[in-house]
Amino acid sequence: MSTYKPIVEKRVDNALTNDFLRKATRRATDRLRHNKYNAADELGDWEKWRLAGDTIRSHVIANLDYYLKQLITQVEKNGGHVHLAQTPSEAVDIVSKIARDHGAKTIIKSKSMVSEEIHLNKVLEKDGISVVETDLGEYILQVAGEVPSHIIVPAMHKTRQQVAEIFEPLAGHPLSSDTPTLTKFVRQQMRQKFLQGDIGITGCNFAVAETGSITMVTNEGNGRMVSTLPRVQITLMGMERIVPSFRELSVLLNLLGRSATGQRLSSYTTILTPPKQSTDADGPEEFHLVILDHNRSEILGDPTFRQSLKCIRCGACFNVCPVYRQIGGHAYGSVYAGPIGSVITPLLENDWEKWGHLPYFSSLCGACTEACPVRIPLHDLLVKLRARKTMTGHTPQIEKRIFQAYRYMFTHEKTLRQALRLGARFQFPFVQHDRIVSGPPPLSNWTKSKTLPKVASKSFMYLWAEAKHKGTIPTPNSKE
Amino acid sequence: MKVSLFATCLANALYPDVDLTMAKILTYLGHTVDVPDGQACCGQIAFNSGYFDDAREVARTLIDAFEKSEVVVGPSGSCIAMIHHYYPFLFENDPVYLAKAEDLIHKSYEFTQFIVDVLHKPDLGAKYKAKATYHPSCHATRLLGIKDAPLTLIEHVQDLELLPLPESQLCCGFGGTFSVKMPKISEAMVAEKAEHVLESGADLLLGLDMGCLMNISGYLEKINKPIKTMHIIQLLGEGMKNVHI
Amino acid sequence: MTNTNDFISLLASKLGRSTPQSAPEPAAFDVPSFQVSSQERVRTFLDNWQALGGKGAIVKSPDEAIQCLQEWFGDLSFAQTTNQGTIVSWNLLPAFAESAFTTLNWPLARYSQAAPSPQDRHQLAAQAELGVTGADWGVALSGTIVTSSNPQRGRAVSLLPPRHLTVMETSKIRNTIAEILSEVSALENPPAALEFITGPSRTSDIEMDLSIGVHGPIEVYVLLIDDSEDTASNSSD
Repeated sequence: MSTYKPIVEKRVDNALTNDFLRKATRRATDRLRHNKYNAADELGDWEKWRLAGDTIRSHVIANLDYYLKQLITQVEKNGGHVHLAQTPSEAVDIVSKIARDHGAKTIIKSKSMVSEEIHLNKVLEKDGISVVETDLGEYILQVAGEVPSHIIVPAMHKTRQQVAEIFEPLAGHPLSSDTPTLTKFVRQQMRQKFLQGDIGITGCNFAVAETGSITMVTNEGNGRMVSTLPRVQITLMGMERIVPSFRELSVLLNLLGRSATGQRLSSYTTILTPPKQSTDADGPEEFHLVILDHNRSEILGDPTFRQSLKCIRCGACFNVCPVYRQIGGHAYGSVYAGPIGSVITPLLENDWEKWGHLPYFSSLCGACTEACPVRIPLHDLLVKLRARKTMTGHTPQIEKRIFQAYRYMFTHEKTLRQALRLGARFQFPFVQHDRIVSGPPPLSNWTKSKTLPKVASKSFMYLWAEAKHKGTIPTPNSKE
Repeated sequence: MKVSLFATCLANALYPDVDLTMAKILTYLGHTVDVPDGQACCGQIAFNSGYFDDAREVARTLIDAFEKSEVVVGPSGSCIAMIHHYYPFLFENDPVYLAKAEDLIHKSYEFTQFIVDVLHKPDLGAKYKAKATYHPSCHATRLLGIKDAPLTLIEHVQDLELLPLPESQLCCGFGGTFSVKMPKISEAMVAEKAEHVLESGADLLLGLDMGCLMNISGYLEKINKPIKTMHIIQLLGEGMKNVHI
Repeated sequence: MTNTNDFISLLASKLGRSTPQSAPEPAAFDVPSFQVSSQERVRTFLDNWQALGGKGAIVKSPDEAIQCLQEWFGDLSFAQTTNQGTIVSWNLLPAFAESAFTTLNWPLARYSQAAPSPQDRHQLAAQAELGVTGADWGVALSGTIVTSSNPQRGRAVSLLPPRHLTVMETSKIRNTIAEILSEVSALENPPAALEFITGPSRTSDIEMDLSIGVHGPIEVYVLLIDDSEDTASNSSD
């Protein structure tokens, strides 16, 4: 048994017993989902938009080497510096070297999932640098010492009272827990930090290969702060987050804002072609683009899972997922949660022991696939990951035996017919009031929370054969 | 028309009356029904658990069983979706069975889809007094695109009042082996589904997949809120007693 | 840090071919278009802007512009003082705006002229009550204003003050971002910063409760100068 199994179970138990978390998750995902439906309907023929998004992203992935090379060349031509990192630790080293070279004391950060993926803050803080998360949700979690539970609404598992308590030590006085007070407090806190930041670190929603531009989408404006005020800007991106040109960008921006939050366009959509022109009134003088592989190249080389690289990180699959709805993000244990997280985490981390549970965090209902704006067949990929895990010998022997038995039984229908007769006869120890109410594992996993009908004394195949034998099968002419 | 029934493993073992009623309804509509021997399961149980090789053998057996059939009808969106959605993938490297799988795909239907979209018989003259709500099963809805057919059949049942099911798009938490592999998450899901069923004010829950219905009714019974649960086939069977099917 | 050639050839090998020397045939796609008449476009822009909590008006003469500014900002302390620095602006605003501010005698601190160093400029903008900018484009479908950076314009002007006023001619409003991005593509180089601003700074990070102004402007205003040839339109409000 995996040593991680108890850890996973504990995380799930914690989530399922946290009523606030579950209510908050329902509320947030319901809201985001309904906003999305409205925003998608308004555009007319959403399926056409999805098809376009799929076409564009598939095209980029199929030509990723070409576009990445074009992007690198273009960023360098614009006067930026490009750094390529094969692993998370290489990426962290690159950022921390840039910080050291500039003697940076304060780094201000806007939201970047890649920075979470490479666990950047820990290392920078060890170097004595003060790193400030500026997205409100991320800031709450940074002060609380926690990690995001939703890709778009990172701190949605926190109550307003908890947020007020988290901020009180910083304020030095009691804070009211109403949203305007808390928002205003953060605005004041953050102002000086923005103005004092030596380096700004941003994420990247899309890089434009043709122009060497990066696009960043925020609602709070912190992305603009971080890319306007400090002298040095570092942008972190996964290597697949590219579009060929502005022509494709407009389609994806439309899909992203609408899918993520149901907005026609996020409040601040910033297309930067850094560094600033020498005579520009403001903007970063120095620009570093850090491009991360971290097994993305392995995924690219795997035709089954290559499609997962199309993801635009909108979070729409989180908001429709009935599993995510019940357990929230932390139960997954991974930086990327939700259906897409369950697909990419085992591949990025390449560790079945630690992340092998994720593909099973799905009832395969297909809601994720239906919601994905770039048509990633998420639930198909989840089932194929289960197969990958099975075929590479990472599932328990007992499970293999069960399926061998299943295979024998269900390829020998006559034997199955007899087995069901026997089953019907010998199920009595588990039956109460005509229902099965207990049983050995794994059946007990069912009977703990649900009853089960009895095995019929005569299966349908048996009944039909019997009727055939007696000549009592209904025929169109025999009816009254 | 000669119609072959795909009993499906779950109905065969636990709900034979669903299969039997399906046979009676099709016969009533003037079709000759047969039940080919050798059929057992679509293979989904192994497939969804990632045991593709085992699933493939089970699928092969099913394909063989229906090779000579004209039309195949089953009482489950999920099993038919397995055939339509995954058989081409399962047999992508086996041209002989891929061709046979394609043949099966072209001639197989979920029951409500067959009655409404193929036979065009939305009104079977059924009559049943109840306040019902309908759970649209995920695979029928999302993988086969079956949305209106079951509702059409339900709406044609006399004396039946159909009440909306809140958040009906949510999965009930069954997911086949998911329900025993991730029992706690599955329970949380079915608990919410049960909540919505109770909220709907219905005294009858309808569906087109016994797996989902078994899950929801099993939970409702455990929490002592037993609400009558029926497959649409069972509803029609009860409602058509007056026409002697 | 990996060498570029190694990085790219690894990807090519994963794709099972060598890296193409010339650009791949662009992806072919087709999306529904959104197009309305120019008059409707202005109306749609303003409706969408206001729906997001922005204030906006269409004016046809400098007098109307003055009236509007007085209505919006007349109560504010900066409007009654000659305190340099409470209003920060781009070096050059549309003529209507320039003359309106002159007439009102509301002094404008010009962002890049008022302070030599970037840090001082940031401080200036951070202390201002109102930032005034022009815009290059508007987007009707989303109620967005679009600005590009250049030496006469500060990015911080539309970002740091708690209020942001945009003055823009109605002829600059397009249907969609696609139209604007295609105009930007036609430029030799894109600007260092192209900012699409859609309403005030907002967040729903605390209990999904919408809250305005956590970082960026709390109040946003747009003054649309009607420069349509058809002056018969009577859509000022």
